[in-house]
Formats: sequence, C-alpha cells, structure tokens
Amino acid sequence: MTSRTARRGARILAGVVSVALAGVLSGCGSSSGSGGTQTVRFVWWGNQDRADATTKAVALFEKKNPGIRVQTEFSGYAAYVQKLTTQVAGGAAPDLIQLDRPTFGEYQHRHVLADLSRYTGSTLRVDKIPANLLAGGKADGKQYAVPAGQTTQMLVYDQDLFDKAGVRVPENGWTWEQFAKDMQKVGAATGVAGTTDFGWAVDWFDSWLHGRGKQLYTADGKLGFTAADLEQFWNTTAALRTKKGVSAPEATTKMDGSTQNSALVLKQAASEMNYDSNLTSYLSSYKGTLKTAPLPGDDAAHSGMAALPPVYFGVAQHSAHKDAAVKLLDFLVNDPEAGAVLGATRGVPANSEVRAQVCGAATGDDKAVCDYEQRVQQRMGPADTWQWPSGSSAVKTDFQQVYDDVIFGRTSVSAGAERVVENAQQALEQ
Amino acid sequence: MANTALTRPARQVTARPAARSRSRRRGQGAAYVFLSPWIVGATVLTVGPMLASLYLSFTDYDLFDSPRWVGLDNYVRMFTEDDRYWHAVTATLEYVVVSVPLKLGLALAVAMLLNRGRRGTGLYRSAFYAPSLLGASVSVALVWRAMYGDGGVAGRVLGVFGIDVGSMVDQPRYALLTVIALAVWQFGAPMVIFLAGLKQVPKELYEAAALDGAGPVRRFVAVTLPMLSPVLLFNLVLETIHAFQSFTSAFIISSGRGGPSDSTLLYTLYLYQRGFTDFRMGYASAMAWVLLVVVGLITVLLFRGANRWVFYLGEGRR
Amino acid sequence: MTVQATVRPAAGVRRLRSVRSVLWHVAVTVVVLVLLYPVIWLVSTSFKPADEVLSRLALLPEHATGDNYRQVFGGVAGYSIWQYLGNSLAVSAGAVAGNVLSCSLAAYAFGRLHFRGRGPLFGFMISTIMLPQHVVLIPQYIIFHKLGLVNSFWPLILPKFLATDAFFVFLMVQFVRGLPRELDETATVDGCGPFRTFWYVILPLLRPAVITTSIFTFIWTWNDFFTQLIYLNDPSKFTLPLALQIFVDQSSQSAYGPMFAMSVLALVPIGLFFLAFQRFLVEGVSTSGLKG
Repeated sequence: MTSRTARRGARILAGVVSVALAGVLSGCGSSSGSGGTQTVRFVWWGNQDRADATTKAVALFEKKNPGIRVQTEFSGYAAYVQKLTTQVAGGAAPDLIQLDRPTFGEYQHRHVLADLSRYTGSTLRVDKIPANLLAGGKADGKQYAVPAGQTTQMLVYDQDLFDKAGVRVPENGWTWEQFAKDMQKVGAATGVAGTTDFGWAVDWFDSWLHGRGKQLYTADGKLGFTAADLEQFWNTTAALRTKKGVSAPEATTKMDGSTQNSALVLKQAASEMNYDSNLTSYLSSYKGTLKTAPLPGDDAAHSGMAALPPVYFGVAQHSAHKDAAVKLLDFLVNDPEAGAVLGATRGVPANSEVRAQVCGAATGDDKAVCDYEQRVQQRMGPADTWQWPSGSSAVKTDFQQVYDDVIFGRTSVSAGAERVVENAQQALEQ
Repeated sequence: MANTALTRPARQVTARPAARSRSRRRGQGAAYVFLSPWIVGATVLTVGPMLASLYLSFTDYDLFDSPRWVGLDNYVRMFTEDDRYWHAVTATLEYVVVSVPLKLGLALAVAMLLNRGRRGTGLYRSAFYAPSLLGASVSVALVWRAMYGDGGVAGRVLGVFGIDVGSMVDQPRYALLTVIALAVWQFGAPMVIFLAGLKQVPKELYEAAALDGAGPVRRFVAVTLPMLSPVLLFNLVLETIHAFQSFTSAFIISSGRGGPSDSTLLYTLYLYQRGFTDFRMGYASAMAWVLLVVVGLITVLLFRGANRWVFYLGEGRR
Repeated sequence: MTVQATVRPAAGVRRLRSVRSVLWHVAVTVVVLVLLYPVIWLVSTSFKPADEVLSRLALLPEHATGDNYRQVFGGVAGYSIWQYLGNSLAVSAGAVAGNVLSCSLAAYAFGRLHFRGRGPLFGFMISTIMLPQHVVLIPQYIIFHKLGLVNSFWPLILPKFLATDAFFVFLMVQFVRGLPRELDETATVDGCGPFRTFWYVILPLLRPAVITTSIFTFIWTWNDFFTQLIYLNDPSKFTLPLALQIFVDQSSQSAYGPMFAMSVLALVPIGLFFLAFQRFLVEGVSTSGLKG
C-alpha cells in the first residue's frame, strides 16, 4: 500500500470505527413515524394463549383508533430479554414494552422508561388500579410503568398426597414451624417430598423476610438483609431436606418457575410455591387434584404475601409515539372489551372493575385463580416495599447458582450466604 | 498445504517472468476489486465492532448509559475476584479436552466404516449427518432431558451394568457429560471432511502394505493415519476453535443457566450472562478478548506441534 | 475392499465378499440405529398425544395420533407454517448466493493474485474465524439499525455478500491453490484479464467447492437461531427456528407435542436437501485443498 492509500484506508477505518462507537456510546436515536398513521411497536413474552388474546385486543384497539397501527412482537422469555436488550442498546427500542420486576428495575434505573406521570389522570387512567399494585411501577415518586395484572404467592399442593399423610391446611394458614413439621409428615407418609425446596428462588426468600418484618431490598435500592438472615433461611430448608420435607437436589436444581421443570408436576414433590398467575398452567398439566393454600406466615400481618404485578407495561423514553403508546397501554389495562378478550392471561386484571367483570364471568381454571385471590385478599401486604432495583436480575441468578452449590454440598450454608451478600452488594453498586 | 495456509499463503513460483510481471501489475488493482466485498465486510462488520469491544473492555458499560473508563479493572476482577469466571474456565477446558477428541474419533471411525464404496453409502452418510442437521433447537433440549434425565434411556442402559446415575442432566457430576455427548453426537461436518480425506489416500499404498503382510491395525497406523494427518489437523484446529466458542448446546440444555452448580457454564455462556442478563458489557468484552487471545495462542501451538506429526505427501522436508 | 483385489477373484472369494457385505450392512445399520435413537425418539414423540409427550419416555407412542401435525399445519402464531418455511428458504438461499459469490471472489484474490499486504490480510482473515459472536453483536446491530435494515432479511444476507464467513473463504482458497496454474496462464497469454480469467476459467473449475460451500451455508443458516432472533421482529418475517421457539414459553405441556412435530417438519427440507447433495459434498471437500 502506498502511504496515500494507507492513510486513506486508515481514515475510512477510523470513520467506520467512530460511527460504530458513537452508536454504542450514545445508544439512542429512535426512528420517527411517517405521515398520518403512526406505527406503535408493542412487545411481550409469553405463551400462545397470551399471544392470541393480546393480538385480538390489539386488533380491537386498531379498529377504534384508525390513525394508529400496532406492530406486535413476542417470543419466549430468555429470547425476549436478549432481543430487547440488543434493541434498546442499539437505539431501536420498541414503544410499548412488557416488563417484570427485575427488568423493570434495570430499565427504570437506566433511563430506558418514560415517566408516565404527566399522562396519569388524563389519557392514562389509573384510578381503578389499587394503589398498592400501582406502587410497584413507581420509582422516586414517579410512575414509570403500569401493572398489567395482579398476582400473589401461593402454595399449590396435591390433595391426595396431603390427605394420605393426614395433613390439612390450618384455618388461618401455616406458621413456618407447623409448615416444616407437616412437610416432613408428608415426606414420611408418602415417600414424595413434602414440598419443592423453596430455597432456590430469591422470591420465596423475599416472602420469608417480609414475614419477619424485613425485606430483600430497601426503598433506596440497597440490600435489606444480612448473611445471617439468609443463613437462617437456608438452614430451614437444609433441615427439611434430610427428612424428605423438601425435594432432593436433583429436583430442585432444574426449577425455573416453569411447569415442565416443576418438581410438583414431575411428582418429585407434593406441593410447590409459585405465583398464582401460574395456577392455570399447573391445573392443565397436572395429573391429580391440586389445591391452593396461602404461604406460611407467623400471623396474618406478617404473611409474607403481597399483591404483585406479574408483568408491567412501560413506554420507551425515546419513543417517537409516546401518546399513541400510552393510549394503547390505557386500552389494554382499562377497556372492558379489552379486558374481556385478555381475561387472566397476565394474572387477574389490575383494574378492579375489569377484574370484577372478568372474574364474574370466569369458569374452570380461571375461576380457581379468581377464587384464590379473593380468599387471600386479607393477607396481602402492600407492594411498594417489594421493589426490585437495578442489579436485581444479577442477584436473582446468583442466588440460585449459589444455592445449587449449597444443595450439592459444594459449599456450606454460611459460606454460600456470605457469597450471595457479597455478590449482591457488588451488583447493586452498579 | 493446510498447514502453511493458516499462517501464510503459499508462494507461487511457476509463472513465466513476462506474463508474471504483467499479471502482477494488473493483479494489484484487480486483486483489490476482487477483495472489495471482503474488505468492506471485514472493516465494517468485523474490525469496527472488534475495536469497539476492545475499547469497551476497558470500561464499565451497562449498554444504556455511556461507558466509563476503568482501565484494567475488568481484567483484574476477572482473574482475581470472580469465582464464576474460574468455574467457566474449568468447565470449558474440560469440555474442549473431552469433546474434541471424542468427536473426531467418532467422526473418523464412522468415516472409515463408510469408506468402503458399498451400495447405500449415501443413505447411511445422510443418516449419520442427521444429528447435525437438527442443530440445537429447543426440541433437542427436551430430547436430551428425556435421554439423560430421570428414567431416560442412558440411565437404564447404565443400570444394566449396575451403575445407578439417576438424572444425569441434574447432577453437577454428570451434567457436563451430557452437553459433551450432544456435541460429540453432532459429528457430521468432521465426518464429511474425513471421508473426503480418506478418498484421497492412494489405493496403492494399501495394496503395498497388504503385500507386506500388514493387518488392518497396522495398515491404519502406517497408511491411513499419516495420509490423513493434514485433514486431521484441519479438523482438530476447527473443532478446537469451535469448542472454545461453544454456546448453544450448553445454553439449551441448562435453559441458559449453566447449571446445576455451574457445571455446564461454558465460557461464552458466562460471557453472555454477564453481557445480557447482568448488563455488564465491558466485562463481557474483556472476557471475549481473553478468549480471543487464548484461542489464538492455542491455534498457533497446534500448528507448531503439527510439524512433528503431520505428513505431507510429496512435500519432503519443510 | 481393494486389498482383496490383488487376489485372483474366485467363486469362494466372491461369496466371502457378499457375506462381508451383509455383515457390513448389519454393522452400519446397528451403529446408525444407536446413534439415531434420539432422532427416532423425536419423530415418534411427535406422534404422541399431549398427555404422553413428556410423561411417557418410552420410544413408541401408546396411542399414536396426528393431532400435533394437524395443529402445526393449522398455523402458528397466526401465520401458516408455509410462510415460515418460505422465509427460511429465502434467507438460506440468499445466504448461499452471497457466500458463493463473495467467498469465491476473495478466494481467487488470495489464492492467485499478487498484491501488497496479502500475507497479513490473509492471516487476519483466518483469525476472524476465532471471534466470538456475542461481542460484535451489538455494534453490528447498531450499524444495521442506522442503515434502516433491521426487521428485514438484509442483516442475515448482506454479511454473506461481504464474505464475512472466513471459513468458506479459507476453504475456497485451498481449492484455488490446487488448480493447475497453467490454465489461467494460458488465459492470460490469450489476452484475458483477471476478471475474464476468473469468470471463464476459475469459477467453472470451482464447482465442487461451490457446492460444498452452498450445502454448509444452507444448513448452518437454516439452523441459525440467534441472528434471526435479533434481527427479525415481525412474526410474518419469522423463520422456522423462531416460530419453533414460540412454543417454549407454553404454559401447559400440551404445547410440546406440536413443537416436536414442527421440529420434525423443519428437519425434512434440509434432510432432503442433504440427501440430494451429500454426494457432491464429499467430492467438493476432497477436491478442495483440505487434503495436504
């Protein structure tokens, strides 16, 4: 290469690199709409039922709002997260985004979500959404996302196995002590572990902490527990594990909240903790009779349960069609017709009027969810102390990973608990 | 040939002087024309992004806010503080060291079996390639769970020999083996390349060996292996590189987690988790650059070592 | 076997040979069956009714049914399976065309032409094989987004036209080097420039390498899930692997039957493709420079 071409080459290279870098660094710049009709991109994850219902609701929205076209995209959860991350980082964020607690924390913290406060009360109606639920979408006093539904914790159990062991759900729910005894009883009488080892998910630790007046994260996004707390929690499960009170490590390790990996569904445990938004999945794939019970708690005031949004809807900060996206959000959450179509595909509806309507018409498995929600209403604490800040998705992954090491005997409970705290502090610093 | 190729293009010496200088002059310009698509692609889609990631590896970058320069922090953390990083390194090394020889061995064995020119070979060849056609889809993950999970066929077969393994995919001791099994199972591409290599072995050599009274084992060691060694090297290098970057098989089998207990946490899977679930792209970029350097070194070592055992017909001394 | 060819063929030997042939077929069939057990299980499971799919690990369905297939043919995520099939075909065909064209051009330059910086450029080209994909993903995405090409097939095809698959450039370079140099010298003496030499002399001779490249590109593109996931948004543009993963988040186990059925269906086109071309595949590889 002559020095001139070399120099030119270097300049082109530098140009290309700087363009690439500039894109990486700024990470913004959303495409704008064209002409009279606006196109809103709306993304979610979920199964075919949710997709079918949502597509129908969207079509209804388009009919009522001729100026707005909605482009929908959906996929499985893991794929959704990677894709959304790439799109947002690449400056191509969708307009209306479905989020869960960890992703809400991450995205809100990183200024991906628009502040919806200036819409609430006008084009975005939130007055029918219970305040404790709405609080889940708030940060720093501003509304960044609106809950798409409501769910709460439950224990789902096989009635036959419990009967066989002579175990009955106490009138006012279990205390933790009774619960531990009963689970061992089930394990001893049936040969099937009493319940799925609940040490795996940070969610159940969160509940357990609330039952003790503590919480996973403080309001300002710091760690709300100590290694000693976690050690105590994991010692509870460790004591149960040796007596078949909770499932074996091989069954526990594959838990991911899905039905196909559920120890209960695979008959490796007689009961399992989960959110009631998954109840219909259990009912449709379980062979046997399933019943629901509230989570153990030492009294109703410290039940460790809360009304939580299974998913939220948020609008992208850089969206060029915020008004239209908010309109769609409002429609999905508040419109009775939309509610009828969507049913309980994102938990029971968040809007109390829509919920009454949907639950009134519900039959079969959906009715079971509505009934459970009704039954445990008194036990649900406020949700505003249940927020997960930025860094929480790393904590969630790490929590389960360390617990794997604990149950397979690769590390001790106390060393594991300390590792979780240490890693969590690092992740939350970010 | 394959060995020189990876380090430098072979020099041509046969062209006549006159035509050579003419074609050379014209070749200069023409060569760049021919190369232009590659040059554009390499600059825009490879060099640019690569340099970007090199820069990012020295920053704290969460994908959304601007990167913050942190110097060698990511690298230091990786080597000194991060337990999971070392889990990933250990798992990956075990994966590479076990899966590559097994895969190549199986590919070679099947290629030898098929290299008889009998009828129906094409059909068999396609049958053996079928696992590779399946790729790594979600359904493969479920199939693997059914094979190596509770009550799966693997457990039952081992049970016959009195070995009780339980659910292999769910135990840290065995889970990586199931991932390795998946990689080995998809041995189609090296098999095809071995088959092609076997076709090139001059028949006379086997005949001569047979006349010398060499049995099948001796013929394999004395004729097949040396004649096949360049192809073996080619496969070895590509499969090694490939194995270091292996992602999908572990991703689908462990549902993206690398569990149980980090036993299937391959390097790129951890890199992915860091970048896309923990939003630490700077750290992930640093991991990528370490991988790039290590794989590069290993490749060079493989080629260096190859001089001792790779045999080039008609090339004589190198 | 060639070894026996030195012995005078006699009736006994011929009989021995046919016995050996039968033994060979038996041996290969056994190996095939063992290795293909998971594939056979996959196919058979696609015929199991919903309640058997995950609960019954046995090879054969207790009550075989075509329901899973009926459901898949009834459409997935609102689009017919033919649409996904068509998209997959379009992407794979585009990728094949791109790779064949750009890689052969680059290979001719690297393998035959003299130019400054050839050594280092070649070394660099080879080293790009070692690059992990996840690192360049986001910068690449940003580039395609700035070009306005996201949610189209271009990000999946355009890189192939820019010879980013270094593996195939390498394969073809090895092949070009194996071609007798006299051919293009004759062409040069006849007054053909490098372009006509490439077009009339080299490209026709490259046929086996072109076929090899085509087959591998086709299969690898067909199965490439992550790139397609990142760049395609609209379900109407989804390819088969994307449509397949819609089943992953299914809440009930009844979704897995159709997923298995769809996996089998996705396997059929590349299976046939491979069956038809595998003969050329081995030829292509063996005539390219991969031997020593």
